Amino acid sequence: MARYIVGRISQAVVVLWAAFTLTFAILYLLPSDPMQLQLAAAGIQADSLTPAQFAAMKHQFGLDQSIWAQYWHHLAGVLHGDFGTSLSQQVAVSHLIGQRIGHTLLLSVAAAVVSLVAGSALAYVATFVRRNPLRVVLTRLPALGASFPQFFVALFLIQFFSFQLGWFPATGTEGGVRSLVMPVVTISVLNSSVLAQVLIKSFDETLRQAYVVTARAKGLSRSAVHLRHAFRNAALPAMTILGVIVGLTVTSSIVVETVFTRDGVGKLAQESVLSQDVPVVLAVVTIAATGFVLVNLVVDLLYPLLDPRISHRREEIPKVVAP
Amino acid sequence: MDTFRRLKPAGRRRAAVAAATVAGLVALTACGGNQDSASGGGGPPKSGGTLKVSFFPDNPTFSCIDPFQVYWIEHRSIVRNFADSLTDQDPQTGKIVPWLAKSWEISPDGLTYTFHLRDGVTFSNGKKVDAQAVADDATGWIATVKATNGVAYGASYVQGLTGATVVDPLTVTFRLSKPNSSFLQATSTTNLAITDPSEYQLTPAERCIGKGVIGSGLFVLDHYTPKVETVLTKRTGYQWGSALSTNQGEAHLDKVVFNYVAEDSVRTGNLTSGAIDIAWPRNPFTPQDEQLIEKSGDTVEKRALPGVSYTLFANTAAGRPLSDPQVRQALSKAIDRKTYASTIFGPEYPVVQGPYNSTTPYFKSEASKLGYDPAAAQQILEADGWTAGAGGFRYRNGAELTIDYPITQFSAGAELLQAQLKKVGINLSLRTLTTAQQATYLTEGAYDLTTNYFTRADPGALQFIINPDVANSKALAKRAAAPEAITQIQALFTKAVQTNDTKQTEQAYADLQDYLIDQGVTIPLFERVQKVGLSSHVHGFAFTSESFLKLNDAWKD
Repeated sequence: MARYIVGRISQAVVVLWAAFTLTFAILYLLPSDPMQLQLAAAGIQADSLTPAQFAAMKHQFGLDQSIWAQYWHHLAGVLHGDFGTSLSQQVAVSHLIGQRIGHTLLLSVAAAVVSLVAGSALAYVATFVRRNPLRVVLTRLPALGASFPQFFVALFLIQFFSFQLGWFPATGTEGGVRSLVMPVVTISVLNSSVLAQVLIKSFDETLRQAYVVTARAKGLSRSAVHLRHAFRNAALPAMTILGVIVGLTVTSSIVVETVFTRDGVGKLAQESVLSQDVPVVLAVVTIAATGFVLVNLVVDLLYPLLDPRISHRREEIPKVVAP
Repeated sequence: MDTFRRLKPAGRRRAAVAAATVAGLVALTACGGNQDSASGGGGPPKSGGTLKVSFFPDNPTFSCIDPFQVYWIEHRSIVRNFADSLTDQDPQTGKIVPWLAKSWEISPDGLTYTFHLRDGVTFSNGKKVDAQAVADDATGWIATVKATNGVAYGASYVQGLTGATVVDPLTVTFRLSKPNSSFLQATSTTNLAITDPSEYQLTPAERCIGKGVIGSGLFVLDHYTPKVETVLTKRTGYQWGSALSTNQGEAHLDKVVFNYVAEDSVRTGNLTSGAIDIAWPRNPFTPQDEQLIEKSGDTVEKRALPGVSYTLFANTAAGRPLSDPQVRQALSKAIDRKTYASTIFGPEYPVVQGPYNSTTPYFKSEASKLGYDPAAAQQILEADGWTAGAGGFRYRNGAELTIDYPITQFSAGAELLQAQLKKVGINLSLRTLTTAQQATYLTEGAYDLTTNYFTRADPGALQFIINPDVANSKALAKRAAAPEAITQIQALFTKAVQTNDTKQTEQAYADLQDYLIDQGVTIPLFERVQKVGLSSHVHGFAFTSESFLKLNDAWKD
């Protein structure tokens, strides 16, 4: 078991490193000059500088080093927990993220819980009901939910619940739970649909298994079989989706925070990508990747607890003795 | 509301009184009524409450709240409410009136300006606003211009300023190396607002995010979080508002929160649903949004912004299609400005008449040269060798007449412009820029046509765009016209400001406006009007002379 965990953690580290390196490479391949971006942020136009001043500034920003030196500099910084300074705002990246991460974590966790509950409930009900038209509608619902673009859902909610009914604020993070409702719903429409699709499929398969028939034959009620026997087994594939959902929440928060004007890491990521603020984007990607990797690790470690058939122990392979 | 009322030129001339105070005294035309239209009802002002204002997004490339450095219109509105200036400017008449300075004298040669300060004024940190503080500010401004290589927004306001000396604790004298007749107006603006000079010990970048920025205004800058929000809180004990406000004492409001909402429809919806008190867009509301606001019982306040109109500037570098003056003339004639204004902003919207908005002092209408004449445009192009070819576009030596027009969040109605130019065979190619590209495309010269404008109740506003010495983007300034044209423009500016003779100033500015249009250096597109959606719960709303927000009399019921 310990060996397995060590293996998985080293895999996670490699994934993180790859995410960091790939992001760095993509950002530096983009056709624009980080030097000019920094100058603009400092209120200086590159064309107003003499060549000597330009060179001095370049040195000051550390942009006169080779790309490898810059890469190592960034990587070493991140390893020490120092994400550097934002190019477009002249503020420490950790400060920018620190200001916003609370809002995003709250949004993500709330959305994950709602997605989990709503997705499971939908799948449970959809596979439990027997009346055909209703069953068909319920099983098709996730496909619909997964196909709506999030910005569309968000704008629809704003139009209806903010501007028409005035129930929830359309923008900002003020007002606690009230400002959280519509963003959470927007994210959950997609995430719970993805979860429900997987759950419904695996419910259908599980319910065809022989042990379900046996349980029913032994006289257990339909609901007892559905909840206690089928659900536990059907939930296993859905566990795998959890990791994906965390990833989806990160991308969702970019859209949702932008549309709802919530000051979170997602909106910061969107702004930073557009303004090619390399240190900020690197930091956001690293943090998101860490979350993603951690959740996947936890899911993998949970498998054997939920299903004893799965084991992380190395099976002793019997030696084949030559005759 | 009595919109777009303007004094006749004769009236404007009469209004230009004292020779020394030229620029400011020429009548500014207020599209009046703003001070009493919204504030009329509601009974006596109530104290307390938080005012919520939503702007369009913060500056993506240069986040700044430091008065001397920031050119962002929305932030100048904020600055106006936490930092006072030596003088104030009457939005109705353009007259410069006392504020932190009780009175002033200008030497006959126009080289020294002596201000007598009001006693008992303090910054919000308790320090005195005295002659020493003002003189140190002057030193700080000059140092900032130097530190930013003349890019800082205030650079065009302090042209010729060499420093200031303390005469006595309440008297300070500014010295200029050459006359600058727009300097008095400059002292009324937000960028020459008086702040605690100790801020100049910090770097320009630190000051930009609000560090050490302390004014003497009726609100205190609580914090500025770039791209997120700015919060002002009431300054207790304030009692030195200018005579232009009914309430010269403490603010009625406790707090003002400014935030940024990208989506126009969401900002308007927030206003009509009561979530915010003021929706303050950059480009005017669409006719639909304006109707929506009025239907829901809120009001739309409007005032033409003084300064440079929304203008197209060409890249005249060698080899570029717009380096050919004939093509620039044809392009200008192909624009149907009347249809543009009514289609994009509604039937009541004014049509642009020249390089400046009609509310700018010394404005001269060039409307006769800006008429829509597609036939003439086609003739010019034909004579210039551009013949009609495939796709309805024109070609010369096998090359298509394509104009690269990068679009930013400031662009309005780019598709309509594209359709209008297509009628005469010009292919206006629209290219949406990312924030990062916005910061660099001018310097790289990667454009044929770009837009710009600048707000200031003085024709000097154009220098911030087109005079390479003080322009924000030297690249745009240098490419907007051929070197000899730039020399000519600079000469006309010099002629206009380096004199005490109002007649000469007026003549020079008139010549300048003719020259800009004749040479196709500026191709005006639309008149800029600041429109503001105002909740029915807000009273006492007012615009400053530069169409910024003024909160001295504002209160909420």
